[in-house]
Amino acid sequence: MRSGSLARLIAILSLLLSPTGAPAQAPAPPDILVSRQLAEAEGLNVGDVVRLATDPAGSRARVFRIAGVYEPTPDPSRLGQVPRAVRMHLPDLLEMTRPTDVPAGAEYVGFVNVALVDPDDAQQFASDVNARLPGVLALPSGEAAGSAAPFRVLERFHLAIAVVTIIAATVFLLALTIMLVDERRETVGVLRLIGLPVRRILVQILLEGLIVAGVGAVFGLVLALLSEQLINQFFQWRYDTALVFVRITRDVAFTCVSIAVPLGAAATVFASWALLRRGGLRLARR
Amino acid sequence: MNAVGFAWRSLVRQPARAALGILGVAAVGALLFDMLLLSRGLIVSMQDLLDRGGWDVRVSAGDLPGSGLRVANAIEVADAIAALSSVQAALVVRSARAEIDTVSGMPLRVSFQGVAIRSTDGGSRLRAPWTILRGRDADTADEIVVDEQIATRAGLLPGSAVMIRASCVADLEALPAMQLRVVGIAEFPFQTTSESTAGGTLNALKIACGGNVGDEADLILVTSRGDADGTAAAIRALLPEIRAATNSEVVGRLQQTGFTYFRQISSVLTTVTVSFAVLLITVLLTVSVNQRLGEIAALRALGFSRMRVVKDVLSESALIVGIGGLLSLPLGLLLASGLDRILKAMPGIPVALHFFVFEGQALAIHVGLLTATAIIAALYPMRIVSKLPIAATLRDEVIG
Repeated sequence: MRSGSLARLIAILSLLLSPTGAPAQAPAPPDILVSRQLAEAEGLNVGDVVRLATDPAGSRARVFRIAGVYEPTPDPSRLGQVPRAVRMHLPDLLEMTRPTDVPAGAEYVGFVNVALVDPDDAQQFASDVNARLPGVLALPSGEAAGSAAPFRVLERFHLAIAVVTIIAATVFLLALTIMLVDERRETVGVLRLIGLPVRRILVQILLEGLIVAGVGAVFGLVLALLSEQLINQFFQWRYDTALVFVRITRDVAFTCVSIAVPLGAAATVFASWALLRRGGLRLARR
Repeated sequence: MNAVGFAWRSLVRQPARAALGILGVAAVGALLFDMLLLSRGLIVSMQDLLDRGGWDVRVSAGDLPGSGLRVANAIEVADAIAALSSVQAALVVRSARAEIDTVSGMPLRVSFQGVAIRSTDGGSRLRAPWTILRGRDADTADEIVVDEQIATRAGLLPGSAVMIRASCVADLEALPAMQLRVVGIAEFPFQTTSESTAGGTLNALKIACGGNVGDEADLILVTSRGDADGTAAAIRALLPEIRAATNSEVVGRLQQTGFTYFRQISSVLTTVTVSFAVLLITVLLTVSVNQRLGEIAALRALGFSRMRVVKDVLSESALIVGIGGLLSLPLGLLLASGLDRILKAMPGIPVALHFFVFEGQALAIHVGLLTATAIIAALYPMRIVSKLPIAATLRDEVIG
């Protein structure tokens, strides 16, 4: 079992971040870690000694030494909130937050993370804990990951936006291909008059469409890859986070190409079909 | 025939391409309109939600109401606030987790809000932070109101008795169930989609918690006598250890934290959408103009001025964008309602909050952006027709 040896204090904990001088004979203050954002905002450095308290008045303040500055694990559910946080050992946290009328050892913690020998036993282990310890709720990590829910919703939202964008792009693409095919009606008419069957011309148009759509898709991917870095840098700066906002994965690239190429080719063939149904003479006539 | 009439005939002559162009603009315009509705939707909706209750100052222990910190000595604090000359009334709100027994045996997990009003002009009866749909409000310590979800799942009606077990201090409490009476079915505007809520007086909550409630409040709602800013300042001066914020200030703080993502994505998608529209309409018009160079040269030869053919191209662009833009409004509203449903599945979002809210300002920006799109998209094709050499074009396009 892995107990929470380090506890995190988030914004709830009021900080009295005045560097203080420890008396020469006093024992060394306990160590804490401070988030990069907090260290930057308050000008804190490794080795500084600070006082922390749980209320703005600074009552029951305790002295700590900054042992390190850490980059908080990016938490999408806290986007927009600069993580001004410190991490300390659990006994220190309990010592600070325990009400005066609660004896030591009678505190409770919010969560205990458990690492099982066999992770496949998670469901059974949770059931056993729930049966044996009333008042404690045990959940396998997968079910406890409620914080992912907003991002599943955002994923659906982005998908909906993507669908609308694809519809709009398809309509424009059709309009463009109709115009481009119309521009080539004379050429197609001549090809028909010299004996090329409709199927042969259609295959040629399909190939052309595939090449154009393929080149377009590759260009789009290159543009996306170039803008990926730019977008991430902007939003990471904007929200002061290490979160990655845009990631062009192989799956994403494959999905884009597998939609764009057939769509482009289909639009070309669809636009050409109406033209090819006309007679060669009519097409070639100016 | 004026330029618009002439452009209309040009479009009608090639209905397929015109219809596709207009449909494309409608789809892009719908997306653009939605992004504009999204950019301020949450803020407008949240402001409306906060204002709707009639409470114009919110007092809490944390920077934002609902941060988890509680106001200590809540009744004393509320009395002190209510005694201020600018305050009409103060409402102490305390929430606790509770379980309601159901027929099936599976308890229903709910949030229980207990409220207590403090006012110096005793006659005023201000609304609790919920709206009664059926029955009446809970007035005494043995009465509660429940939301539709609880009523349906626990089979409750106004007049039903309910066994409730609440935990006011810690979730680990194992308190005995207490019997209360449901007197009304209510709607809780700040309730999230995944949540069920019951409400009653603070005394009802105390009973449900077996008296183990403590004198703390999650929130104190204050109604001023008209000057919300002055009242918030007076409360801050009176009680410097707690936070008092007007509804606008609460929205402002949310704007800086939780709502920024949607503003950013709205800005990015607005930019992308407008660029996309400009690019595609430019290509459509350019190809269209290139196909009609001979015709345009012939018109110039017949006496149409350079300005006139430029106006024709601009009018064609305006017609495509204008008709597409008009169609984009109903399409956009339809799409917004679908996207709103998707986003409202996000946990922790109040049922009454909307991501997409119609505003006159959004419509004005939409019209402005589409107008700019029509003009910018027409610039290059207008340049082509304005610089068209009449004789050479006629020779190439007509004779050749």
